[in-house]
Amino acid sequence: MNVLSVDRLTKRYANFALENVSFSLSKGRIMGLIGKNGAGKTTTLKSILNLVTPDAGRVEMFGRDFMTNEKSCKQNIGVVFGGIDFYDHKRISDITAVTKRFYPNWDEEAYQKYLKAFDLISSKRVKELSSGMKVKYMLALALSHQARLLILDEPTSGLDPVSRDDLLSLFRQLVNGGERSILYSTHITSDLEKCADDITYIKDGKLLKTAQTSAFIEAFQHLKAPNEKAQLSLEEIMIRTERSTYDV
Amino acid sequence: MFDLLYKELRLAAHPQLFIFMCLGILVIVPAYPYGMVFLFGCLGPFITFTYGRETNDIYYTALLPVTKRDIVKSKCALVVVAQIAQLLLSLPFAVLRLGLLSEGNPAGIEANVAYYGFGLMIFTIFNAIFLTHFFKSGYKVGAAFVLAIIPATLGVLAMEIIIHFPRFAWLDSVEPTMMVRQLPILFFGLAAYVLGMVVTCQISARRFDQVDL
Repeated sequence: MNVLSVDRLTKRYANFALENVSFSLSKGRIMGLIGKNGAGKTTTLKSILNLVTPDAGRVEMFGRDFMTNEKSCKQNIGVVFGGIDFYDHKRISDITAVTKRFYPNWDEEAYQKYLKAFDLISSKRVKELSSGMKVKYMLALALSHQARLLILDEPTSGLDPVSRDDLLSLFRQLVNGGERSILYSTHITSDLEKCADDITYIKDGKLLKTAQTSAFIEAFQHLKAPNEKAQLSLEEIMIRTERSTYDV
Repeated sequence: MFDLLYKELRLAAHPQLFIFMCLGILVIVPAYPYGMVFLFGCLGPFITFTYGRETNDIYYTALLPVTKRDIVKSKCALVVVAQIAQLLLSLPFAVLRLGLLSEGNPAGIEANVAYYGFGLMIFTIFNAIFLTHFFKSGYKVGAAFVLAIIPATLGVLAMEIIIHFPRFAWLDSVEPTMMVRQLPILFFGLAAYVLGMVVTCQISARRFDQVDL
């Protein structure tokens, strides 16, 4: 069953256009959304969430049209935008006290469990948290209202390798029960090799390929040089696909 | 809606909003241009909206299970709560002043019935321009404030000047009969404020719906 279906999503700006992006994410899977900086990953995620108004296309979440069921769909999702800090000077406890009022199925016991598991201290202010801890706090909020779909925009960017690895194992654990799904954008392709079940590749605002990770890698092996034996990694695939020359 | 207003007061509001809210008590000062109180009532929302931009408040709210229209409604509600609370808070001090200081206010208009009516009209003008302009972008708070505070200040000046014309001296009176005569100004101000906020909120919501965050 698909928890998310994106159909011909289009958003046009003066100097950039996201054109006809379509993909779907099944229950219990992690999908990595890749592309170089400025390819349209964040625009895709924002269009899915109606943070930017798409010019065309349809988003179906949990089998319902997102635009007409925005509030109920949002009850079941958790969103983490890496690199954006909210209420820097507020304590975690203050933000949680406000946030939980919006979710009727808030599970306080689960929240306390996640705080403990992630070593988060509720009296700390947001500015006192490291980047990794901020992501974990947002995840704790999302998991405490039993979000079935996590949408993460570059959650591992700017993190050290240890924190990144820590988060990636956490993502895997979160989907292991088969009830949750994760869609996350990144340009750190090595992260995806560790944890993504599916990969969607966006290049210059257009969908290049969406497939299961192994099939995806297989589909780009034609980029290998004649004398190359080893399979191309995701990073190599991306580099060879995006490589440009400058006439200077 | 109540949850969103709670969020506004607990997370989005800058402490300065509450300080400016309390400045309604300035009507107890023996000699002070009381029109300033309304300008403080305009400054509070400006500082809070600026603070909201720095804390990514709108962004965070948009990720909650609410729509963009709900965000606009909650911001409008916050402004109304702050301004009306300021006026209500000033009322007991305006009454107290009548008993304590019978000399009158040499620096400007008295804190009388007409004063509150004018105040509501000034707030209506400010809110209509500030909120509708701000929600065109969701972040250009400085431009919205400059555009809105100019007519609001002119409104305050007009209020302070008009009472010096003998024909309008009754507007500066705290005599009970004169204050009854001033009642239509208060009612007009109240009606303008309510109607103005409804229209302002609708226009702002429509504009913000088109904004890409």
